[in-house]
Amino acid sequence: MSKTPALETRQLVYAVDGRTILHGIDLRVDYGEVVGIMGASGSGKTTLLKCLCGLVKPTAGEVWVEGVNIALLSERERMPLRLRLGIVFQYAALFDYLTVFQNVAFGLERHRRLSKAQIREIVRERLAWVGLEGIEDLYPSQLSGGMRKRVGLARALAMDPHIVLFDEPTSGLDPVNAYQIDRLITRLNRELGLTAVVVSHDVVSLMRTTHRIVMLDAGRIVAEGTPDAIRASDHPQVQAFLQMASAERL
Amino acid sequence: MWLDEESPRRQGALQASLEFVGALGLLLFASLRGILQARIELRETLHQMAFIGAASAPIVALTSAFTGAVVTLYSASLLVDVGGGGFVGGAIALAMTRELAPILTGIMVTARCGSAIAAQLGTMKITEQIDALRALAVSPVQYLVIPRVLASLAMFPMLCMSANAAGVLGGWAVAQAFGVATNTFLQSIRLLTEPFDLIGGLLKTLVFALIVSLVSCQQGLGTRGGAAGVGHATTRAVVLSMVLIFAANYFLADLLFAER
Repeated sequence: MSKTPALETRQLVYAVDGRTILHGIDLRVDYGEVVGIMGASGSGKTTLLKCLCGLVKPTAGEVWVEGVNIALLSERERMPLRLRLGIVFQYAALFDYLTVFQNVAFGLERHRRLSKAQIREIVRERLAWVGLEGIEDLYPSQLSGGMRKRVGLARALAMDPHIVLFDEPTSGLDPVNAYQIDRLITRLNRELGLTAVVVSHDVVSLMRTTHRIVMLDAGRIVAEGTPDAIRASDHPQVQAFLQMASAERL
Repeated sequence: MWLDEESPRRQGALQASLEFVGALGLLLFASLRGILQARIELRETLHQMAFIGAASAPIVALTSAFTGAVVTLYSASLLVDVGGGGFVGGAIALAMTRELAPILTGIMVTARCGSAIAAQLGTMKITEQIDALRALAVSPVQYLVIPRVLASLAMFPMLCMSANAAGVLGGWAVAQAFGVATNTFLQSIRLLTEPFDLIGGLLKTLVFALIVSLVSCQQGLGTRGGAAGVGHATTRAVVLSMVLIFAANYFLADLLFAER
């Protein structure tokens, strides 16, 4: 494992319209790790994820992606660095006017010098990884929610990213589809050594997919540890969140 | 007290106006920079040319034909009565080339394409497709804005030409009913119009093309909220484009034709 972390934030602050969303976040994600960011809606999870991939510029602090502080870079300078990251959006964010093939091939056609046959092979392979073969000609509107998320993951994986960021990968899915996505994240981590950050309020999903969980509350890290340590935590906010999450499941 | 209550609202409107002008300027600058650096998505540009140009041509021609016809209806009835039937063709050609064809092109494309551009980009914004583009290291300006600006710049003059032809044709059809012979109609066009009337009108459409494409893209990319936000962005794109077209038209008319 490299000493340089895959991702790191130092005293990260993000404020918008006079409201502070993130208050001095210090987070480190090492290569090969799957880190979960847990918290209630509005706790700043998605904002933190967007700061990590440079989609949102922090108000203060540092965001290091593979040893580069992207907080200091302009949008144009951040662009190539984003190719090292794959992002799976909450609602997949597939381009709805393009087919599944065109969605997965989108980045390859623009950033890799590959023949059409090579692109077709990579798209077929990535779709096979996520268990979706033979749907290349369908449009996103013809897919179920779970299939869309898996196509979104295939699109992110097409560029061979070093790190994949997941925004609420299981939200809105039935338990079977949610379990499939969780297994996929675990398998990609084990088989490909993929580093991942999973933002979710789905406690069960985070407990079974991550090595470490960071609990966010009102833009601050209130607890951090392995899934077992989080489960055993006596921090009142962590306990309240876990209890509410389990009550919600019942 | 009244002033105290009103001033924040005025300040808000002023701030919003300045923000709009600033955002439009930045988008124009980013688009020009992208075009100069030849970062052009050819496939998307051709697709937009078909959408803005070819698909808009029938509606632009149809509205122009009826506009030419109705203008002739009024002018011919007056001119023929006073023995000026020989000026009908020139009058309609002058009105179409200098004013009506460029304005009708701008208005019809705003209604048909400006609204669609704002709605499409607005939907892409709220469904995180714009973020997905950026996540794939593709600039939304390069992929979405520049093709629409280039397609508009290429197709507006062509649409204006078809509007000119359709308007004069509509005028000719009505002039026939007033007993104006085709030869007389064409002769008066040659007599009263100059090449610059046509060129000036086409130059106007280039400015209108920039207004419609940039305002629609800016409003779409600035969409906030859900479906209601897309609706607001679409309405704002159409209203702002039309107001700016009429305002620009006045200054362009003054600049291009005041001395003629």
